[in-house]
Amino acid sequence: MTKITDASDEHTELVVIGSGPGGYTAAFRAADLGMKVTLIDRYANLGGVCLNVGCIPSKALLHVAKVIDDSKEAAVTGLYFNEPELDLEVMKNWKNKLISGLTRGLKSLADKRNVTVVQGSAYFISANSLKIESDKGESLLTFEQCIIAVGSEPETLPFLPDDPRIIDSTSALELTEIPNSILIVGGGIIGLEMATIYSALGSMVSIVELTDTLMPGTDPDLVKPLEKLLERKCDAIFKGFEVTTGLAKKEGIEITFKNSKSTHSGVYDVVLVSVGRVANGNLIDAKKAGIEVGKNGTIPVDYQMRTNVSNIFAIGDVVGEPMLAHKASHEAKVASEVAAGINTALDTHCIPSVAYTDPEVAWVGLTENNCLTDNISYEKGIFPWAASGRSLTINRSEGLTKLLFEPGTKRLLGGGIVGTNAGELIAEISLAIEMDCNVSDVALTVHPHPSLSETLTMAAEAYEGTITDLYLKK
Amino acid sequence: METILLPDVGDFQEVEIVEMLVIEGDTVKVDDPLLTLETEKAAMDLPSPVAGTIETLFVDKGSKVSEGDKICKISVTALEKQPIKKQQKGHVKEKDTIQPSVEPEPLPEVQTEAPPKQQVVIQKSFAGIHASPSVRKLAREWGVDLTLIKGKGMQQRVLVEDVKDHVKSILSSEPTSQQVGLPAVPKVDHSSFGDIEMVPLSRIKKISGSRLQASWLNIPHVTQHDEVDINAIEQMRLEMKDEAKKQGIRLTLLSFVIKAVTQVLQEFPDFNASVSENQEDLVYKKYYNIGFAANTPQGLLVPVVKDADRKSVLTIAQELGELSAIAREGKIKLEEMQGGTFTVSSLGGFGGTGFTPIINAPEVAILGISKAKVKPVHIKGQFLPRLILPLSLSYDHRVADGVAGIQFTSLLKSLLEDPDTLMGKSESKND
Repeated sequence: MTKITDASDEHTELVVIGSGPGGYTAAFRAADLGMKVTLIDRYANLGGVCLNVGCIPSKALLHVAKVIDDSKEAAVTGLYFNEPELDLEVMKNWKNKLISGLTRGLKSLADKRNVTVVQGSAYFISANSLKIESDKGESLLTFEQCIIAVGSEPETLPFLPDDPRIIDSTSALELTEIPNSILIVGGGIIGLEMATIYSALGSMVSIVELTDTLMPGTDPDLVKPLEKLLERKCDAIFKGFEVTTGLAKKEGIEITFKNSKSTHSGVYDVVLVSVGRVANGNLIDAKKAGIEVGKNGTIPVDYQMRTNVSNIFAIGDVVGEPMLAHKASHEAKVASEVAAGINTALDTHCIPSVAYTDPEVAWVGLTENNCLTDNISYEKGIFPWAASGRSLTINRSEGLTKLLFEPGTKRLLGGGIVGTNAGELIAEISLAIEMDCNVSDVALTVHPHPSLSETLTMAAEAYEGTITDLYLKK
Repeated sequence: METILLPDVGDFQEVEIVEMLVIEGDTVKVDDPLLTLETEKAAMDLPSPVAGTIETLFVDKGSKVSEGDKICKISVTALEKQPIKKQQKGHVKEKDTIQPSVEPEPLPEVQTEAPPKQQVVIQKSFAGIHASPSVRKLAREWGVDLTLIKGKGMQQRVLVEDVKDHVKSILSSEPTSQQVGLPAVPKVDHSSFGDIEMVPLSRIKKISGSRLQASWLNIPHVTQHDEVDINAIEQMRLEMKDEAKKQGIRLTLLSFVIKAVTQVLQEFPDFNASVSENQEDLVYKKYYNIGFAANTPQGLLVPVVKDADRKSVLTIAQELGELSAIAREGKIKLEEMQGGTFTVSSLGGFGGTGFTPIINAPEVAILGISKAKVKPVHIKGQFLPRLILPLSLSYDHRVADGVAGIQFTSLLKSLLEDPDTLMGKSESKND
């Protein structure tokens, strides 16, 4: 018979490690299914990266940036604003209050479900026990099942000096100061969102990207309008350049980057490194439970989100790309339902991606890049927003809605949007793909006029040849 | 402090405690067994509904208890009450299998809780399936493989009704080869006991593996063993060997066995038949194609000697040699392994005294040959050293009964022990 060695140690049916959108969703769903759940997070506030130092604060600051940019652009309509005055303290407090409101909300949702919340860092001892380290000491938790939702961390460039002026997205969102000049290393979604924020707040922004395109992997026609606007807002954009050295100097950080032809170097007040994120699978002693951890710290799982150890699941960033909160929370429901004995599996046809830049860029399902890489035949329907009344009334004309169809069946394979509110509009394409719509399903659904959502119908009509808002040569 | 009472143990009163599994002062976890009860029908462990320390025991070995009787007092450390009734039912074991701990041996420190019900988990993507998310979820819940369903909705969309119809049709069809109800082999984390290495199964092993399993599960196998005195036939083989060698033929015992088998099959056509797909009829084949198991570097292959009944022993030997060679080289064609009506598996070159070969379904029988050995045989008042060949005939008991099995091996034995009859009958036919 197994003896309990320490009376203070606890036992739980399901332990969830990490309280981000994946972790808290898993914990709450499992509790609603009648399980006794313990939710562990290393920080006092629930919500993980997304809520505390990721999606939510960045979107709050992007809102501020949008108001600033809009106030400037209003001049063409005959509406003049004074140069905006920034009160950084008030702005920070507003953002932090918003976050604390949300985390308090999560805590109360946990309490109402009798989910035990434990603060501390969890490390596996075996496939049914964890060690939890916190300020209060060390404790043991035995469990029947576990869901690992430990997320990811910003990737670092090890050759850069250790200097407070070299920051990651977490620090950038703390908004301690608005630097005169900032270099953003990495032109992916996070980097470009930061560029949008800091350029609006008044910094001279430079971007350096290793590959030849911004937002690598995204269809070029979707990135182009964004890039055009960023070129106007930013000091410089270097594409195809590799950062080679960084020197901490009194006047700033000197960064050198080069491509095959030339070498640039510049001194920046702040350098923001946003070159990707690394899964945290190596931080939890997973091997002691027998859990396989792949390269880059990701944990492989099956369709039920089960790791190679059958009573342990993993979800969210730690299982790999795409590292998105909405992917994590969806996987969370699958994992906790399977843990509760429900026969289910991950079955999404598509997961949307959104860059909350200005203009926003969003895509879902197959992209043209995917099709070209994997040799999938497709046909497309495009509607340029320059012909959208709604878009012009908000003083924007650079947008684009694109739908990809399977030749023959005319099923919707994917779609991409660049333009105001693309992040909201993309959801309709997700639903259409999940419901297996074909081009007529989209074209024949009446959309409100004038609206940006209308551009979906128009793109479908453009593909079908039934569009009247454009004239397409036969 | 919790007082633990005896829960409902079925319609039994005054149930005897046959074993106490704890003493006062013991610490127990939830579900740790406290004692073993024995009713007329079954023995069962009573699991602890809470974790804590046993303060007082109210019962002892030999006590007779009924529902509601006090068992013990536990000072609770971890509050996790389990519904006792539900738990203990799972612990009921049949009397003759009563063990203090019958549960499968857990891995060291790894105690994986299996899901409560047997689930069919489809580990494949439904990407590209014409079905809405709710239909996909339903299919997962019911363990339905959506890739197998043709949707009746617009553009072949799979609808809820299609999933339901699919399940209905499975439920109403004959419970034939559904593997659905098979209990799973326990999972073991081998790496927790030492170093391991994973090597993928070869393609041939994977294919033959599932066919062997299908045969084993679908066909009630009976194996009939017998022994054959092969001195005479071996003598004949040695006489013919050199002549054969001149023609480039390696004359093996197997060729004689195959020759004999074709004659026995003509006598007992049931062994050359197949059960029809709907299991309503027996399909008698008027041809005698004999497969033989060939050991190749890629795995087991079964080339077929076509119309073996119309071929001489020499021709059979020649084909055996040729087919084995191309099988080993991996160049054998599919049609050279098709159309078999009976299979011979010879392990004689390797050893053994007998084995139970698995029928190459949908054939109904297979002959296994082990190593011939010199054995003392009692002949006319004295023991003589004779070369004895062990035979093992596995057959489908749905098609042939035990007597038919014996008749088959007996005739085979007599033919092999009387090579003149064997050869005369056949060689004259050909020549």
